[in-house]
Amino acid sequence: MSSLPRLMEGRVVLVTGAAAGVGRGVAAAFGSAGAIVGIGVRRPEAAEETAAAVAATGGTPVILRCDVTDAVQSADAIEQLVRDFGRLDAVVHNAVSGRSSEATDFENTTLDEWEDHASVTVRATWRLAVQAYPHLQKSQGAYLLMSSPAGIEGSERAPFYSAVKAAQRGFVRALAREWGPDHIRVNSVAPLAISPALENMKILEPERVKRIEGLVPLGRLGDPETDIGPPSVFLCSDEARYVTGQTLVVSGGRFTSL
Amino acid sequence: MAPSASTLVIGSSSGIGFSIARRLRTRGDSIIELPSTLDLTNAEAVGESLRSLVGSGSVDRVVLAAIDPSAFRSAPIVSLTESEWDQAAEYPMRSAFVALQQAHGVLADGGRVILILPTVAATGVAGLVPLCTAVETIRVMAKAVARRWGARSITVNTIEVELAAFMLGDSDAGDTEVTMVPVLGQPALPPASAVDDVIGLIDMLASPAAGAITGALLVADRGTVMQP
Repeated sequence: MSSLPRLMEGRVVLVTGAAAGVGRGVAAAFGSAGAIVGIGVRRPEAAEETAAAVAATGGTPVILRCDVTDAVQSADAIEQLVRDFGRLDAVVHNAVSGRSSEATDFENTTLDEWEDHASVTVRATWRLAVQAYPHLQKSQGAYLLMSSPAGIEGSERAPFYSAVKAAQRGFVRALAREWGPDHIRVNSVAPLAISPALENMKILEPERVKRIEGLVPLGRLGDPETDIGPPSVFLCSDEARYVTGQTLVVSGGRFTSL
Repeated sequence: MAPSASTLVIGSSSGIGFSIARRLRTRGDSIIELPSTLDLTNAEAVGESLRSLVGSGSVDRVVLAAIDPSAFRSAPIVSLTESEWDQAAEYPMRSAFVALQQAHGVLADGGRVILILPTVAATGVAGLVPLCTAVETIRVMAKAVARRWGARSITVNTIEVELAAFMLGDSDAGDTEVTMVPVLGQPALPPASAVDDVIGLIDMLASPAAGAITGALLVADRGTVMQP
């Protein structure tokens, strides 16, 4: 459990894809920073652990049904936070396609697979921005996208995943310029962190995980809450009031030339 | 690779793609072009068309002017409908995927893929969020396939040119919307033909000397955006 400065005390944040992995860790970190944390998930019953983690760190959890591919659900999630707490200070879009850890056979696959990735990571990135805009404009808040190093270097195994994560970086740069006059900041984090898929790999293929860890100068994969959470909180806090249009690579030094 | 090697130019109906195809044809290169009416997101149709054009042979080079300039429109994202977002951002991504996927099927081992994009995503441009999003997506998709196709000695690289040059190619800017796009910065170099520059870079990337260059981004924008 992390203990962060209360940089987000009383602030209201929506974190999508917060049921597990990086999303859960980032949500818990916002809780530790004092935030009211909207836990956006497709299935509310899957959010109990995240809610407990947010509460345990001193934050206020609010479980929200928010399948980001459903425009009504994402709009309702935002409106509920604003209705109940009077404001929205940050949106952290972390949700990814359920197929994001699968290999993509680029030469033989179809647009259906592309759609799985694009609907969550590209279209929802735009739609959440549009839906949150009036509230972020009012709070002079922040929009944070959880991208990936794969979206910078391109992945042989996951060309679709890396392409849609790249989309978020292009989006961040342009929207930061567009929303700068509104004092809304737009950034992204490219984390290398332990995910549910990697947890599974640790059990099934421990040597492979060791090899991956061996590529990280700091010698380990990032912890979602204590390694990825704090920089995410920072970027949404007033401490980062002059930071916009950036992608912060949080990878233990694994990626140094991005 | 000889200058007369067969080149598939995709996106040749307007803008810089049109100018590149015309220039290559004029100098005697063997050019293959898809029908301008073809829906580039229809993988089956694109594949069929390519097979009928190429027959049992293959192509040595693919030049992909990856975004249709007619889709460009400067507007705040909050003003876009879902359909407008799709047309400006996601349609180019889908068509780039289909073009790369289907071109792979007719590309010779050792072939060269060269994407042409506007240099907007490196810095981002207000009013052009969908375009910047699409460009960055396609640029990294190219890197991913560069990694995948390296085993066949196929190289995949990207050339970025100024937005106006991408949209207009050799044509005169006149009173088009491109003149309304916010300027990113002043070019360091005086005006020159972007098409000439791109043709030179295509020839360089297609030469044996460039066999070890893949996944690279070459920016030919007269020094407007100098990467950090």
